[in-house]
Amino acid sequence: MDLSYEVKDSYAEITAAGRLNMVSAPKLRDMVAEVVAKGTSRIVVNLEQTAFMDSSGLGALIGCLKAARQAGGDLRIASVQPQVQMVLGLTSMDKVLTSYPSAAEAFGDD
Amino acid sequence: MTEVLARRTMRQAARPQAIEDVHAELDSLWDAASFVPDMDRMTFATAVIEAASNVVQHAVPESTEPVELGVDISVTPARLEARVSAFGAVCPDPIDTDPVMPGGEAESGRGLALIRALVTTVTFKRQDGTNTWILSKSPLHD
Repeated sequence: MDLSYEVKDSYAEITAAGRLNMVSAPKLRDMVAEVVAKGTSRIVVNLEQTAFMDSSGLGALIGCLKAARQAGGDLRIASVQPQVQMVLGLTSMDKVLTSYPSAAEAFGDD
Repeated sequence: MTEVLARRTMRQAARPQAIEDVHAELDSLWDAASFVPDMDRMTFATAVIEAASNVVQHAVPESTEPVELGVDISVTPARLEARVSAFGAVCPDPIDTDPVMPGGEAESGRGLALIRALVTTVTFKRQDGTNTWILSKSPLHD
């Protein structure tokens, strides 16, 4: 998985391309920790190019959500693809991780 | 005997990198079994990766030799089957046959419940120092 981030005006966008599984999940946690440490706790994870996520990847997203909220911000996800949506639905995590059609819209309302 | 239309097998040290190889085997399998609908590929592949990840994360060696992960996936006209094995592992105890999906705050523990939700049957077999989870999905969607 290729992970990168860009700090925008009011949030940071992390782009995750590839498979979010037990190999890449720790890397996502590290990147969110780095973004939060640099002072941005409003984070959107752009999943447009994430074709696959397993429960390890989901666990990382939940851990990252907690880290962002503990720092006073939030973590939202955007452009969710069908396999990821299926995992979110089967685990009922679609109620916990707020999903937006695009990264730009994730913090567009506040 | 039901005709096996496509089959992939692998066996290697149960390390995280092995999961990427399971993904590659699944992709190769779907190339060889193009009739399998996208929905079945998605659900079955997710279950297989969960089962293989479970071996890599939780299998405990029963000797000084490291645990090996084995994956044997076959496609027949009406059924997908995967045998995911932990070679040289102690028997997991207790074997949770009816796992509950954890709540919202949990960062782990969803794998087995997710497998249950994704496939038709899950069975466990312990033989000769090997733990094998057999996942099957049938019938195939149109």
